[in-house]
Amino acid sequence: MSNPVTNSKLDRRAMLLGAVFLVGGGAALTRFLKPSESRTGDDAPAMSGEQFMLLEQVVDTMIPATDTPGALAAGVPAFVREMLGEWASDATRREFLDVLETIERQAWAQFGAAYLELPAERRLAVLGRYDEDAISRQDPAYGRFKYLVLVGYYQSEIGATEELRFELVPGAWRACLPLTEVGRASAV
Amino acid sequence: MDFDAIVVGSGISGGWVAKELCERGLRTLVIERGRNVTHRDDYNDFATPWQIPNRGLVAQDEIAKHYAIQSTNPAFNSATKQWWVRDSEHPYATPTDRPYSWIRGYHLGGRSITWGRQTYRMGDVDFGANKLDGNGIDWPIRYADIQPWYDRVERFAGVSGANEGLEHLPDGQFLPPLELNCLETSFKQRIEQYYPTRRVTPGRCAHLTEPTAEHIALGRGPCQSRNVCERGCGYGAYFSSLSATLPAAKKTGNLTILTDYIVERLDYDHAKRRVSGVRTIDSNTGQGRSYQARVVFMCASTIATTQVLLASRSEYFPHGLGNRSDALGRHLMDHVVGIGASGTHPGFLDRYYYGRRPSGFYVPRYINITENADVDFIRGFGFQGYSGRSSWQRAEKETGVGADLKQRLRDPGRWEMTLVGYGEMLPHADNRVTLDERRRDKWGIPLVHIDCSHGENERRLAERANQDAVRMLIAAGFENVAPLGAVKPPGSSVHEMGTARMGRDPATSVLNGHNQAHDISNLFVTDGSCMTSTGSVNPSLTYMALSARAANYAADLLGSGEI
Repeated sequence: MSNPVTNSKLDRRAMLLGAVFLVGGGAALTRFLKPSESRTGDDAPAMSGEQFMLLEQVVDTMIPATDTPGALAAGVPAFVREMLGEWASDATRREFLDVLETIERQAWAQFGAAYLELPAERRLAVLGRYDEDAISRQDPAYGRFKYLVLVGYYQSEIGATEELRFELVPGAWRACLPLTEVGRASAV
Repeated sequence: MDFDAIVVGSGISGGWVAKELCERGLRTLVIERGRNVTHRDDYNDFATPWQIPNRGLVAQDEIAKHYAIQSTNPAFNSATKQWWVRDSEHPYATPTDRPYSWIRGYHLGGRSITWGRQTYRMGDVDFGANKLDGNGIDWPIRYADIQPWYDRVERFAGVSGANEGLEHLPDGQFLPPLELNCLETSFKQRIEQYYPTRRVTPGRCAHLTEPTAEHIALGRGPCQSRNVCERGCGYGAYFSSLSATLPAAKKTGNLTILTDYIVERLDYDHAKRRVSGVRTIDSNTGQGRSYQARVVFMCASTIATTQVLLASRSEYFPHGLGNRSDALGRHLMDHVVGIGASGTHPGFLDRYYYGRRPSGFYVPRYINITENADVDFIRGFGFQGYSGRSSWQRAEKETGVGADLKQRLRDPGRWEMTLVGYGEMLPHADNRVTLDERRRDKWGIPLVHIDCSHGENERRLAERANQDAVRMLIAAGFENVAPLGAVKPPGSSVHEMGTARMGRDPATSVLNGHNQAHDISNLFVTDGSCMTSTGSVNPSLTYMALSARAANYAADLLGSGEI
């Protein structure tokens, strides 16, 4: 979608607000990060409520509901939060929150508003642009983030059985078949 | 006497020895250091991907703290975690600049639950290699000695595969092969046309494609193409001690299994020149207890068996039991891995497959057998190959989000193929297992110290394997072809061997041609430590055959009163 470096009114406003956010908006960003930065005990939540809301919208953008349910219906946000609590090291958890923070910052930079306040097509523009840049840079933090969202969806019951194909007990090995006969990709 | 026979260890070797001895009418005690496992009940093979803890991922901090070594095994995940030891609880020592990966599981059945199930015979090119090029000592046996035992263990275990008529990779008693997929069939045609000296064959593997009456009688059924083997298989479709040998041994009524007992050392009676007792420690209480039997089989796995024998010092064997030769603990070997190549294929986009085949294909060794020119090393390597179409996992490294991404991932991705090389490692006296008397585990047992590294021949062989794998994939029309990366530390193929080797001469070997200690008639060793050289094929089938052969030999000697 839009390139922020254009002369339209909207984009100038976006740039301006983005700059405000980056300079003056530091407080908001600090608040965004704080609960997890200060996380100490095992009982502390892996992410704040605000971070979780952003995560929900990001995974919904990444794997939306179409003719099949998407990441929200498959419970991906709760899965990612659980993984940040149970699986991730402190360093990995910080990395994940950095990824979310960067997405939020880019929303402000490109469109002058929080990711949550953007319409769906602008969220797609923000995330798509970040994805393209991070993958071309082979950014390991984003790679891990994307993998976790993917595994959260495609290894869920919805992702594996409604979106792709999964048989717990295939029963046989059939070595060479027309793709049309098998249907969709196997989830495992 | 408590028992006729004691078998230390319940993995592939111990299971086979127990089965054969029990079926010969001998009251047999199997001692396993790990916990008891109940076949089927203790497996989680029916868990769906969404029921597996953390979708297969083990917590990063837990890996760092407890599984730094074990987690390097590709089969390690949250669904198989119970089959690996915690490195933190079972430490060993290495020189800091020479890492060794000792991959282990302490439980009934040992690594027969998590093994790769690839089963190939060694041929005379392997049994004669040491004598031919002067590295190590000569094997005391040849293919003809072990051939009937390969037949016997293949029939019982159930091995699927295709006969190829190759002398260096002998044919066997095979169940129908797991067929090659579309791409592999094309690969086979291209490779065999381009390199008439090379062969591509379905992987020979211990999976029941068509179970026999003998398999069914043990409660085993055909492979269901789930490919969750490393969790344990409730169908008993692949061979393990739990699905096959131990149930067969139990049926005789002669088997006793003791779990959670660690064998600390063997006692030696010099007057009788015999092992007189097996000293154990209850791993839960620390209590010691000794067991007696007429014959003792060490099947604890290469390094663990060596540890026990080294610890079993006496006035008569000051350097370890049966170690007159100083060969005990030396010549540690493991197949060279981390070699090979992978690539993607642009074709066959309208073809796919159904089911999850638990095996792949095999390119038997050709170097220094059917191809001899232009090689600056001895011995060789074989390739295990795997191929399939990528699925959603590919999106981690491909750009795209949203409905477009979702739509794209409904179709499988391009075909991918990996050739995984297994290279022979030469026996070097300095590659060695010793005891570190200053450091002890929580039961007071000295830690093993493992000092093992690859030599020049291994390096040259690895380089050539990478080149050959790249060239074969390019010749077969692959793109994005790249070698796999760096050679992994020794131990990584989990094929450790050689530290109590068989030989003709008691001055240079620990065991004779029947896996019997040269100097102690009632002591046998049939795990990987008996191996005089590694060959280039996966060794488990050879352990099975040698175990069955040695057990029957010992039963003969017991019957005739010679031991």
